[in-house]
Amino acid sequence: MNQNKKILFTLLSLFVSTFCLTEELLLKNAKIHTASDRGTLENADILIRDGIIVRIGKNLVSSRAVERDLSGKVISPGLIAPQTQLGIVEIELVPETRDDRSDIYSAGLSIDSAFNPSSTLIPYNLTGGITLSLTTPSSSGLFSGLTSVFSLSGSLENSLVNSNIALSANISGGEDSMAAKVQLLRDSLSLSALIGSKKYLEIHRESFLPDGVNYSTRDLLSLKRVVDKEIPLVVTANRASDILTLIDFAKTNNINLIINGAEEGWRVSKQLSEARVPVILQPIDNIPNSFNELGSRLDNASLLHNSGVKILIGSHETHNAYLSRQGAGIAVSYGLPWEEALKGLTKNIAEVFKINKRGSIQPGYIADIVIWNGDPLEVTSFVEEVYLSGKSIPTRNRSMRLKERYMTR
Amino acid sequence: MKKLLFIIFFGVSCFWSLSSEDTKAFQSTYKPANSSDIFIENARILTGTGKEILRGSILISSNKIKAIGENLPKPLGILVIDANGKWVTPGIIDIHSHMGVYPAPGLRSSSDGNESTSPITAHVWAEHSVWTQDPQMPLALKGGITTFHVLPGSANLIGGRGVTLKNIWSRTVQGMKFPGAPYTLKMACGENPKRVYGGRKSEPSTRMGNVAGYRKAWIRAQGYRNKLAEYESKSEEAKELEYAPTRDLELETLVGVLNGEILIQNHCYRGEEMAVMLDIAEEFNYKVTTFHHAIEAYKVADILADNGVCAAMWADWWGFKHEAFDMVWENAAIVDQANAGNGCAIIHSDSSVGIQRLNQEAAKAMAAGNRAGFSISPSRAIQWITSNPAKALGIADKAGSLEVGKMADVVIWDGNPFSVYTKTEKVFVDGVLLYDKDNPLTPKATDFELGIITSEGDRL
Repeated sequence: MNQNKKILFTLLSLFVSTFCLTEELLLKNAKIHTASDRGTLENADILIRDGIIVRIGKNLVSSRAVERDLSGKVISPGLIAPQTQLGIVEIELVPETRDDRSDIYSAGLSIDSAFNPSSTLIPYNLTGGITLSLTTPSSSGLFSGLTSVFSLSGSLENSLVNSNIALSANISGGEDSMAAKVQLLRDSLSLSALIGSKKYLEIHRESFLPDGVNYSTRDLLSLKRVVDKEIPLVVTANRASDILTLIDFAKTNNINLIINGAEEGWRVSKQLSEARVPVILQPIDNIPNSFNELGSRLDNASLLHNSGVKILIGSHETHNAYLSRQGAGIAVSYGLPWEEALKGLTKNIAEVFKINKRGSIQPGYIADIVIWNGDPLEVTSFVEEVYLSGKSIPTRNRSMRLKERYMTR
Repeated sequence: MKKLLFIIFFGVSCFWSLSSEDTKAFQSTYKPANSSDIFIENARILTGTGKEILRGSILISSNKIKAIGENLPKPLGILVIDANGKWVTPGIIDIHSHMGVYPAPGLRSSSDGNESTSPITAHVWAEHSVWTQDPQMPLALKGGITTFHVLPGSANLIGGRGVTLKNIWSRTVQGMKFPGAPYTLKMACGENPKRVYGGRKSEPSTRMGNVAGYRKAWIRAQGYRNKLAEYESKSEEAKELEYAPTRDLELETLVGVLNGEILIQNHCYRGEEMAVMLDIAEEFNYKVTTFHHAIEAYKVADILADNGVCAAMWADWWGFKHEAFDMVWENAAIVDQANAGNGCAIIHSDSSVGIQRLNQEAAKAMAAGNRAGFSISPSRAIQWITSNPAKALGIADKAGSLEVGKMADVVIWDGNPFSVYTKTEKVFVDGVLLYDKDNPLTPKATDFELGIITSEGDRL
């Protein structure tokens, strides 16, 4: 191909992609909760081009766009589920349907290869408004493994969005002292920092870690990513004093920390805020389930937010991960501003876990959008339609099929 | 004919006296404080009888509902609560709770809900496990729960007696017992018993093993009942020559069911299992009052309605085990609307989180039904958490609706109870104000909560 032909070809393909292959969608006249600084827009439009949000505003026009009138409808960003087992659990009590646990690997467990986009939980939770899952293994040891981000598109080939973006750890539960677990956390990270050096081989020979604790190289490499601040460490902890211990630990060891649970977070909200440690909350849970969460209360989210702590909102259970929105609504009834509750389900999760261009409705962002018949946090509202990357996804699920069979009898 | 009637009467009263022998112990000592006279006016009232009063009043006097309706004359000199803009419902009743027997914190030392040592433990009573200082109870009160039914767990085919409690602070379980509420008996279908005992290589390990187990138990109960009847039919002289049959705690409870005094509360998920359980009930001539959890009730909604059996359901729980895999959001609505609206749907919690907002759970189930094309009003759906559970617990003559003469269990909400944003403002149990959002000393903290976080403060 000579130079001229090459230029012509390039121009031609540009022309084709601009004028023929470009897909535009214009969603009109909806109430739009942007989960961004622009807040909520009444009677507004969203222009989407090739799966990307281009513009948001009133009276938008486009000669090429397919238009949809959404008068009376409500739009929100797709909700993001933090810390679920979506795609790696089908039925909790049937072990052979579970890929969320391992005794072989700990910190090094990446669940990407086990993720099942055809799990019944995926269309079900999509129908509930979840578009993205931070799927996380739930092994019971100190480290449960690595979190990856998946779209709930159901696509066999393109569900993975971000791989191995965080490491999860538990310091409560079991019979060993919390102190021992924090020591082991520290020692494990220290060891991983040395991996690859001469010293590592010497130290390993002298049994740096206690008897019975064995990490594979893969586990240590995961831990090293935490030490190198490539990924955050998500630690499940609820007791106020434990949260302070972890804040101190993160400072001393210079790592990025996220606290999951944080039921007594309100008691140390100033310290969490100062250390800029975000929290993942299940605001529906105010039960003092153990002596580590005696201070559990329904206004925890509100009190933490008032102190400047970044709030991420999740649900206890994977099957109904979408009920995080009910928890968010309850947090609102106990004082959390509505817009902050929505950000807790969307934008804050994307920001904290560095998931690019998701979690809010703004130009340049991927068009993962949910259309509701009412307030997304209200228990009587339903999802009417879901767009993933600007494409309408059928919101049908197995549960609906069963209902149709028995209701038409 | 007269003689026959007499024999029948005599027989029945014999069974009554024999099977009720056990009930002399552990009787309710609950006595509400004398309620002042209270007049609630300008309220939007869901009565629990299927009616809605858009602007009405309620007069509470001597612990009872004395009057309810529109344009009631306002009595002079009594406490008046202006409920303008508020909604009022009967006290919420949870038919499936383990508060007290699985208290918080969840410690092995007080997890007393499942006597999972033998598949038939009809002799155990949940009330003997209740820890009255469970901090979950006042949380539920704030959610409007005035009555709850505590069941043994579901490890066993027949798990033992359940008990209906008023949600009040008390040092003793007897002090919480709902006066006059019948006893109940917990039975369990499906996966749990066969997993627990099959895992130990003992019977039952299959669903057919489960069914054989229930039937064998009822056959023994029939034998015991016959033995008691035979002894009772003897002359006084003959009775003096021999001992009365030794009491059998397990069979006394089962005979109580056969005599219609003890109500069956049957944990059962699958449609076909519910149908089998109804056949067993027919074989032994007893009645199943309620199927609990009933994930697949929608598949047999007409059969349940035909048999007058209630289904107690969640709005949306599913998937934790295989028998909970076929959940539909419309389950409660389909059960409710079966046979031209003659079904009996109940929303239950089985959870200390869910019990705090059964109103929201009912709201989800109602909205799902309406989205599917039914037309279910709030005045209908409120019955799923008030009068229907009252009926299924045998206390509908006393509680579950706002009618003259009933216990003054009343909740004032700050808005439409079928919303995530709505909270209770005042909760009355027998006319006594036990939760008032303006009084931080209510609900009364349990003993456990005093000084537990800071020595000067209560838990919350």
